[in-house]
Amino acid sequence: MKYRALFLLSLRSVGRNMRRSALTAAAMALGLAVLIFSRALADGGHEQWIDSAVRLGTGHVAIQAPDYLETGRLEHRLDAQQVARVTRALADPALSDRIRTWAPRLTVTGLASSASSALPVRIEGVDPARERVFSTLPGQLTEGRYLEPGDRLRAFIGSDMAKRLSLKVGDRFVLTAQTASGDVEGQLMRVAGIFHTGIPETDDGLVHVPIETVRKWLGTPGAATSIAVLLHSSWQTDDVVKVLRSELDGSRGIRVMGWRQASPELDSGVRIDNWGDYVFHIILFAIIALAILNAIMMSVLGRQREFGILQALGLTRVETGWVVMGEGLFLTAVSGLVGMVIGLVVTWGFFRHGIDFSSASSSGWSASGGIINPVIVPIFRFSQIVLSVASIVVIGTLASLYPAVRASKLDVAEAMKFEQ
Amino acid sequence: MSEPNERSDGRAAVRADDVWKIYPQEPAPVEAVRGFTIDVATGDFVAMAGPSGSGKTTVLNLLGGLTRPTRGRIWVGGEELTALDDRHLARLRLEQIGFVFQAYNLLPVLSALENAEFTLLLRGVPAEERRHRVQELFAQIGLDGLEDRRPGRLSGGQQQRVAVARAVVGQPALVLADEPTANLDSASSDALLDVMERLNRDLGTTFVFSTHDPRVMERALRLVRLVDGRIERDERRGPVPAAS
Repeated sequence: MKYRALFLLSLRSVGRNMRRSALTAAAMALGLAVLIFSRALADGGHEQWIDSAVRLGTGHVAIQAPDYLETGRLEHRLDAQQVARVTRALADPALSDRIRTWAPRLTVTGLASSASSALPVRIEGVDPARERVFSTLPGQLTEGRYLEPGDRLRAFIGSDMAKRLSLKVGDRFVLTAQTASGDVEGQLMRVAGIFHTGIPETDDGLVHVPIETVRKWLGTPGAATSIAVLLHSSWQTDDVVKVLRSELDGSRGIRVMGWRQASPELDSGVRIDNWGDYVFHIILFAIIALAILNAIMMSVLGRQREFGILQALGLTRVETGWVVMGEGLFLTAVSGLVGMVIGLVVTWGFFRHGIDFSSASSSGWSASGGIINPVIVPIFRFSQIVLSVASIVVIGTLASLYPAVRASKLDVAEAMKFEQ
Repeated sequence: MSEPNERSDGRAAVRADDVWKIYPQEPAPVEAVRGFTIDVATGDFVAMAGPSGSGKTTVLNLLGGLTRPTRGRIWVGGEELTALDDRHLARLRLEQIGFVFQAYNLLPVLSALENAEFTLLLRGVPAEERRHRVQELFAQIGLDGLEDRRPGRLSGGQQQRVAVARAVVGQPALVLADEPTANLDSASSDALLDVMERLNRDLGTTFVFSTHDPRVMERALRLVRLVDGRIERDERRGPVPAAS
């Protein structure tokens, strides 16, 4: 009953200076809407970035021999039995709703030579049929075609490499690498197609060739240096890693890693970008907090006598503080609700198909081994929305706390002298 | 000077024993109240008079537990308020003391009726009983039909009557009024005093109020004159009404 009376007072006090309350609530609601929008955009951007990078690289989940990540050497590969075991594990029905596809890769470093020049390259033996679904590379085709299942001595090369080696579609060149036995052997290849990603190290130094060709050439039948797994979402990574580790438990020589571990550069990139967002959010929160603090402090400072009356009538100091807290919490609740609706409606209503930032860069962006699509599609995550709303509630509560303490600590007799 | 300790039912509404209030100030501390001792009987109607700065408001603040004495002891309704912590003091104010202030001090966001019933609401009195008690009181003091008006739409006299209603509706042991007629014209002052007298007589509510208006002093049953924080004179003007 008592707290009902306090809430009634809080409610009426909010309504007393409607313009000030409305402006404060608007600032909070707008802040929350911007927060929801920017989080959805950041999550969407990150997801696209991660998706692009893992498709060109290790996958959301990478399954390798234990030391391959550190050494990159062919001797640290999965043999045919291990590849078969991993393949069986990936067929687990418990994973079917999370795994989009997977692709075996046999990757070595080597040398690409043409009549005009030579270049160090990363030779990636791929399954053309799987890779067409897995990788974004086939989509970056500028000339010729991507590899096809029947291909044997065809290669898909980057635009910069083609330029430096003066290669065109149909031209022949030689790939040289160290085989499993330690010998250095060359393999004559013909250019099937040329791609351009915008990522210099990829365009300059990556060659896709059929995995069976590489296995035969390097003397590693059925082997793979990595099996890359593509998931529907990066957020499923930890779960899938856990399941696969449990499935492959006891299989010595097999290491299951999430993309954060397998692609530390990408992980750092996403983390740094997140920190940038957090700094923006902290500034946003600080502005919102100051708006609430200012509005409630103004209200409290102008009502010293009123708080004196409340205490004279029998309210305790804590209860007097609750009247002020109630005002802040009520404003927070209303603006939280309004801000959430605005944030969701604006983001979903206007930007569900993405925001096109291509006008900001004619050449596109790449970072940490991934291509950043200039059209960023926001992604709503329930946890992020809850976190955003919770942040506003925390900010509203903290900003109300100081005025509440001020109101509760006043000297009643002095407050009664205060001119309103 | 008549004997100040007479009482109608042998029970003191408020008692103060050698109360001092000293404000530490430079260059010398200010002794606002000096050795104030009083015993107010239940049902009494006491005026405290004195020039500005004589300590009237400070005494009322001390008796109401709004400020703590530097030394001395005070009892209200048999409970020693100087021994209570803040929480219990607030409870005592809620249940045993009503306040009427010079500047009315109604809560501007509440209607006349909500202001009057506010202490009952804090005390957990059911809505129906609250409304009944306030409306009965409003009828007695001429506030009929003004229940829904906010303070800003009431005259000074009406606001002060609402403040009196708020102070007495919970039937406290003591109502303290700090210059309740100071902001009112003479007609409104008379009307307010009529109301206070009637409530004192009919409900047996004990009133202690400060004033420097001679016409108000005349209507007190007991007149206490303060000078420089001390009681200079304490005179009984009429008998304390018998408890009803």
